[in-house]
Amino acid sequence: MQSQTGLLTAPTVDASSTTKAPTFSSYDQPINAYDEAFKEDRQPRPHWQDVLANVKKLGPEGRIESERRVQRILREDGATYNLSSDPLTPSVWELDLIPNIIESADWSLIETGLKQRSALFDLIYKDLYGPQELLKSGTIPAEIIFGHPDFLRPCHNIITPGQHDLLLHAVDLVRDKNGLFHVIGDRTQVPNGAGYALENRAVISRILPVLFRDNQVQRISHFFQTFKGMLSKLASDWTDTPRIVVLTPGAYSSSYFEQAYLANYMGFPLVQGSDLTVRNGAVWMKSLNGLARVDVILRRVEDAYCDQAELRADSILGVPGLLEVARAGNVVLANPLGSGLLESPVFSKYLPAISQFLTGQQLTLPSVQTWWAGDPIDLEYITSHINQLIIKPISRRADNKSIYGHTLDEKQCQEAIKKIKKAPHLYVAQSYIPGAISPILDNGQLQAAPTMLRGFTMSDQGGYSVMPGGLSRVSQSHDDEIVSNLSKSKSKDTWVLSTQPLSNKIASNDQAILHDEAVQTNLPSRVVENLFWMGRYAERAEISMRLLRTLFKQMNGIDPLPIESRRLLLEMASRQTGCLPGFTKADDEMITNPDKELISIIIDGKRPGSVKANLHAMLNCGEQVKEMLSADTRIIINELRDHIHELDRAYTNSLPSAPEESLDSLVTSLLALSGLNHESMLRGLDWTFQEIGRRTERAIQTATLLRAALTKSLAEPEQQQILESVLLSVEALISFRRRYRNRSRVAYGLDLLMTDGTNPRSLIYQVDQLRKYIQELPRNDVPAAGLSPENRLVIKSLTDIQLADLEVLAAVDRATNTRTELESLMTQILEQLEQFTVLISDKYFDHTEGPQPLSMANWETSL
Amino acid sequence: MRYRVRHITTYTYGAPVSLCYNMAHLLPRDTHNQRCLNQRVQINPPPVYRNEGKDYFGNQTFYFSIQEAHKKLVIDVLSDFEIFPIDLTLWQQNNTTTCGQLRANLKMPMTPQMRMAKEFLMDSSQIRRSEELKAYAQSTFSDDKPLIKAALEFTHKIFTEFKFDPSTTTVATPLEQVLKQRSGVCQDFAHLAIGCLRSVGIPARYMSGYLETLPPPGQEKLVGADASHAWFSIFVPELGWVEFDPTNDVMPNDKHIVTAWGRDYADVTPLQGVIFEGGGSQQLAVSVDVKRLL
Repeated sequence: MQSQTGLLTAPTVDASSTTKAPTFSSYDQPINAYDEAFKEDRQPRPHWQDVLANVKKLGPEGRIESERRVQRILREDGATYNLSSDPLTPSVWELDLIPNIIESADWSLIETGLKQRSALFDLIYKDLYGPQELLKSGTIPAEIIFGHPDFLRPCHNIITPGQHDLLLHAVDLVRDKNGLFHVIGDRTQVPNGAGYALENRAVISRILPVLFRDNQVQRISHFFQTFKGMLSKLASDWTDTPRIVVLTPGAYSSSYFEQAYLANYMGFPLVQGSDLTVRNGAVWMKSLNGLARVDVILRRVEDAYCDQAELRADSILGVPGLLEVARAGNVVLANPLGSGLLESPVFSKYLPAISQFLTGQQLTLPSVQTWWAGDPIDLEYITSHINQLIIKPISRRADNKSIYGHTLDEKQCQEAIKKIKKAPHLYVAQSYIPGAISPILDNGQLQAAPTMLRGFTMSDQGGYSVMPGGLSRVSQSHDDEIVSNLSKSKSKDTWVLSTQPLSNKIASNDQAILHDEAVQTNLPSRVVENLFWMGRYAERAEISMRLLRTLFKQMNGIDPLPIESRRLLLEMASRQTGCLPGFTKADDEMITNPDKELISIIIDGKRPGSVKANLHAMLNCGEQVKEMLSADTRIIINELRDHIHELDRAYTNSLPSAPEESLDSLVTSLLALSGLNHESMLRGLDWTFQEIGRRTERAIQTATLLRAALTKSLAEPEQQQILESVLLSVEALISFRRRYRNRSRVAYGLDLLMTDGTNPRSLIYQVDQLRKYIQELPRNDVPAAGLSPENRLVIKSLTDIQLADLEVLAAVDRATNTRTELESLMTQILEQLEQFTVLISDKYFDHTEGPQPLSMANWETSL
Repeated sequence: MRYRVRHITTYTYGAPVSLCYNMAHLLPRDTHNQRCLNQRVQINPPPVYRNEGKDYFGNQTFYFSIQEAHKKLVIDVLSDFEIFPIDLTLWQQNNTTTCGQLRANLKMPMTPQMRMAKEFLMDSSQIRRSEELKAYAQSTFSDDKPLIKAALEFTHKIFTEFKFDPSTTTVATPLEQVLKQRSGVCQDFAHLAIGCLRSVGIPARYMSGYLETLPPPGQEKLVGADASHAWFSIFVPELGWVEFDPTNDVMPNDKHIVTAWGRDYADVTPLQGVIFEGGGSQQLAVSVDVKRLL
């Protein structure tokens, strides 16, 4: 791929030659906004010249190709945002090829301003959840805080070790038309975006390596190293080896990718609320090795949802009892609970006074001008200027939408005013700064788009550290509305230029993974359970598809299939997938025209057991443990998604002409997936459980197949056909012919499929593997005498298979014309295997149901 | 006056509860005229974690967590305390602040106390201001009327116009309905009064506690016959928070024992929390005894 990585690299251009501006015809000259890249005379600003010249040199095709590469890498990295609950269509994070470039003079203003702002917000948090001097003195009107939905009184007096309570802070900035930066928003409870900034950097530095190096772009990895160090020190009062976890709202939270990415990058387990439990006044992670103490939680769950016992009882994301542990100082949360209050846009109005009151300082970085509707004078101003203002609810929540005054007609204005006047203390207005424009690529063409920058700070010794970079976002819609949440916008890597050559330490690779110890030595049991099920669903889907493929081949063969064979094969498809009754109760008409049912067995995602349902379930499990999957695995999973879409298209109306072929690519992808597991996964417990899932499922599927295919005795040519179909579907036909020549007896088939330990698809092979794997599982309980029940079941199954007399199994009971011995043995083994999965699941996975609130005292008990 | 209060809360569950986390507001706080002498909390089964603290409003809290399976939870709180009588008539005579003055002061608050009183002027989770509530109280709290006098009148108004009837309301009955049906229990009357007061611009807070009840003449007092009680207090400049009991038409003095205060019942719920498992059913029994100590 050498030629591709060199795509955008250009010879170093000397300063004089770059003054000839690369102009692009589609770049509209903006009106009334600052241009990040071009001066008023349409010449590029000096710090943009190199990048613009190189982008121009790519030519339209080269640019389109580079844009595609960006998207491809993002997709392969699994970089998604706003994941819908459909695992097939995640929306991929969007990243522009052209970085947002900030020169060092501008940056030092931003840096100073952000440090000051974070320090001030820390003091505000401490005051409002403590002595409330800001309210007593009237610096902030008390009713703003007292009536604020995000002011959580139970969070009063939480103590965070160290100097700061506010450990992380994200700040949204825009540049006005004079080039001055203004703060338009703060993120304090789950200040997200830093992980996306890191991913953006990883991608762009891969696509533009030379440009990146030559421009002396400041590295951001150091920020994350410091961040990790900061989190590790928080629990130093009680431990030198803190366990730090990332608490996620789950795989379908909009920024799950970032949570998983950061967790992996820093080597922290990614956990959900139900993976944690409060015991003995501390927080613990439920892991395969039992409970493991958690000392620091980097949380992505919003304040109110963190603790069902004291905050929202209806939350499904929290850890009951968490707040009390935090209050008692036995766990540290970054950021502390209650910090969501600081996100309120209302603070911007009072910040200069707050700063004076708390620190005696003037703010160097201004906030956008803000009015609070609860103040009568402000309300009057808002009413008369609503067209020029953005109206924001005082509480920043997902369902609280801002109103852009300039987009409203007269009637809508009146409605908005009416709404505000109904509860004025709950609304804030801010003046509207369109934001500087910067160049973006759209299908190879340069376009101008309004830009916003999110900066990140964290608590550091003596003050706050600022990430030398950030998350730049550009609005893609052609109206000039700045999108302030992460959705609906395209992002940019943010290059902060350094005036000095970068030292080696700082220039360390931004892609390097930070963890220094073996990661994931102790996984939440939920993660392992998902891997277990991922293995099972993959195997289930694969065997169904193999059988269906064989079925199609036989049915579409040159010689017409005898009706008996045809019926049995179709019945097998129903039994194997569990899509019953299906063909098991079919009349002759259905057997003659099976297409409709076959299509349903394949692509009806709502039908449990169908090929698509199994693949969906597998992908779902994969999403839940995204952070555990390797880059190669993600590529295969993306391919699988594509193949499922193709399958949908191919099968929508009728069976395609060569239906078996459309299943081939899916089977291949599944094989690639299991191959990868074998070749590149460390043999940890996660691997073992995935393998246990696979082996158990393959054993179950094989036993099901043998029972469904061979219980019924058929006349000679048909019997041979069925036996060969079974062998074909498990890829054993060639070996069979080589070994037994043309003697196609059922007993020989059983030999190969059941008892041949060298055949990796035989029943005995699976059970024997299971026997090995369970030796490696942790034993949490006090070792009882003798074998564990699950071990006993495996050994019993193994012995049952080994001791089976194949001739007896193959013998046909004349009265019923069935192989009763075979049927009963397979049934017995299936029961034992099902029992085995139940035991494994009960022993290692967590099945706690959610908490329920204690009922309240009834009034009757009172006077 | 010295009292001993014994408050026993018993939860019975349909199936064993494996784990629970609870925050209790069952330990009476100290106030300007109430001093706690002794407190003892017994919980069965014994909690693995317990921690006493103070909540946002300065109330005593008791947090506990039980990790052993139990079908029955008993919280037995015994507290002794002393309450000093206050000369309420002196307050009534000496404080001449009118409702109008208080409202004007709150609009342009000049003291920290006045600013902080606003917390009890705003909506809270169980009490919302409304036009109906305002209409019911407006004439009583006219601008020129002295505040304490108005509050006394209002307390009397609720006492006479509302019927005490535990069968007509539950924890979830909205204030508007209480107002319409003119009946309820002490919490309803306290909530209703607070809602009305806030609707007419007077800061009011919810008081929870106990009241000693006396048996009918000639009968012996039954054990456990007392109950928890609720009333309200209003913010009076210079004096601070002054209490009123609309259920009994009195200004609480040395017979009302304060457990906790807050914006409404939700801030001072006697016991809140979650349980794991326990089946679908929970049964709660509360027994309260208030005894004078000699």
